[in-house]
Amino acid sequence: MLAVIGHVARKETLQILRDRRTLILILVMPILLTFLFGKALETGELRNIPLVILNQDGSPESNVIATAFSTFDEVQIQGEVGTLREAQDRLAQGKIKAAIVIPQGFMRQIEAGGEAELQLLLDWTDNSSAPIVEGVAQRVIRRYNAERAIRGLWAQGVRPDRGRRLIQPVFVQTEIRYNPGLQYLSYVMPGVIGLTLQLLTVMLMAITIPRERERGTLDQLIATPISRTELILGKLLPYLGISLLNVVTILYVADRWFNVPVRERLPLLLALCTLFVLTSLATGLLISAVSRSQFQAVQIAVFYVLPVFMLSGAYAPIEAIPETVRPISYLFPLMYFCRAVRAVTLRGAGLVLIWKDLAILSGFVLVFLYWTVLSFKKRVA
Amino acid sequence: MSLAIETTNLTRRFGPVTAVAGLNLSVRSGEIFGFLGPNGAGKTTTIRMLCGLLLPSEGTARVAGVDVTQDADAVKRCVGYMPQRFSLYGDLTVEENLDFFAGVYRLPGQERRRRVTDILERVGLADRRRELTDHLSGGLKQRLALGCALVHSPAILFLDEPTAGADPPSRQRMWDLLYEAAAEGRTILVTTHYVEEAERCQTIGFMHRGRFIGSGSPEQCKAEMNEALLEVDALPVMQAAAVARSLEGVTGVSIYGHMVRVFAKSTTHLRHHLHEALVARGIVVKTIRAVAPTLEDVFMSLTRGTPENNGGR
Repeated sequence: MLAVIGHVARKETLQILRDRRTLILILVMPILLTFLFGKALETGELRNIPLVILNQDGSPESNVIATAFSTFDEVQIQGEVGTLREAQDRLAQGKIKAAIVIPQGFMRQIEAGGEAELQLLLDWTDNSSAPIVEGVAQRVIRRYNAERAIRGLWAQGVRPDRGRRLIQPVFVQTEIRYNPGLQYLSYVMPGVIGLTLQLLTVMLMAITIPRERERGTLDQLIATPISRTELILGKLLPYLGISLLNVVTILYVADRWFNVPVRERLPLLLALCTLFVLTSLATGLLISAVSRSQFQAVQIAVFYVLPVFMLSGAYAPIEAIPETVRPISYLFPLMYFCRAVRAVTLRGAGLVLIWKDLAILSGFVLVFLYWTVLSFKKRVA
Repeated sequence: MSLAIETTNLTRRFGPVTAVAGLNLSVRSGEIFGFLGPNGAGKTTTIRMLCGLLLPSEGTARVAGVDVTQDADAVKRCVGYMPQRFSLYGDLTVEENLDFFAGVYRLPGQERRRRVTDILERVGLADRRRELTDHLSGGLKQRLALGCALVHSPAILFLDEPTAGADPPSRQRMWDLLYEAAAEGRTILVTTHYVEEAERCQTIGFMHRGRFIGSGSPEQCKAEMNEALLEVDALPVMQAAAVARSLEGVTGVSIYGHMVRVFAKSTTHLRHHLHEALVARGIVVKTIRAVAPTLEDVFMSLTRGTPENNGGR
């Protein structure tokens, strides 16, 4: 049994090594993808949202407000415009995401003790930027109101420090325990690592049996007394080797360029990646066993890999997925992988906290491999 | 003598198509049995069933004493199979292919290496052992494929058109190797459409539309042909053939060079009629004589009158 697995593994290895172009692809693509995905998501937080200010009042008070916006990194003031029309046009052209309008008589209204309005024109087609601009506007006004109230109280003999406590008696004290850098990237990197590892392994593995079928070599192979388990495990081993090489390079990239604390948690992360790679290889083998042609195998693989992007919680917590669809998420090994890697890299979890995910991933490997062996028929079609 | 292969009512259907229809085949141990028949006759399907690659729809087949439906792997251990289409790894070298198959057939290390070396010598590929299989010519690929089928010293060899498309010297070389294997006591079942190759077999079976339409030694087959044959040397040969074809009692006509071979149920009166008809059309007749049939004649006679069957399997 072991000897035959060894012979199949050796044969597959020779074939992989002789296919130079694929070999280069296998070794370079994961690094490239991790890098590209990582870079693309690095600026996951929106900054410098373009907006304009229409200061119709032109008073000292309105100038204070206009200046206040420029102190926030989230927005970038693209200058002032003269008319409402101009602001609307630029908004319609998509050049800016918002316009702040300080109407004429703004200061007079405040001085008179009336209610003044700050108007906000928002383009909500971009529903990531719009709420951020609205939040910035709220904070600008809250700060302005507080300052004014403190000044008002001072005029009546209340000292500013006391005035501040009168106006703002309660504070929220936030203590960030995990991911202190508040980086989306730290959250999403496990997803990037998982997707990259999965993409290649599933695709490579999926075509191995149909390729032999198309070339006719399967006819000769199944005419021998080789067992299905020997063939499947023999094919798995060399690809596991390559994938582990990829795990190392991907983890290096994640550690070196994307601040994932790999070195601190190396044994646990390696174990997780190895198990996850095994689930992907087993998935690919299953696709391989049921596909009649390489074309069909690639089709099935794509139909597997794409939903995983959306449904496995690689980019956002699976709680963000509607409950009707969420049960599907639990069918993807990537979900458990992301969950466990996040626990390890962001919350410093140890084996005690992630053993369940490790067990589930192991379960996937066994079920998929067993299913593959059952699906593969040692007969001609 | 014991039987290496024995089938009863062996049948295989693919949907509505019956590729093999109730085949009863007996191959004695140690003989070279030739499977002859047009494309789509069911030869490959039969071989695949006998190798344990395809389940029969009906009937039984015992190969080396084992029922193929019961224990396919036991059958596979004692048979060697050379498929019609070249099926070795083109991206492995000659030696790597042999070594891989020797390994998969579970030959232990030392024996495996010795056997691979033996086979390389035997099929004449020792000096090209490190070449990629893709770079070999067709004839050499066929020899390597035979070598792979022999690597585990099987008692029975199944060869599906082992010389298809090969030039005469390559074919000769292949047959030398087959006789060598037979001399070692292996039973060989070989399919071919080359009639002169069938002559080399001890027993032949004519297969047509999934059944045997005749079998026996080449001599028996020729002796038992139930048609008589006239060889006509006449000019112009095309007209002579056309005239022969139009005569009553003639079942078939084929042209070889400047000779016309005329098949008929009986030639006692035909010879005279034919001569008259040819002369009446102004055709110059040199000779008309009764001749003994070749295997090709037997093949033509047996398959005549049945439409083309392009089943492809």
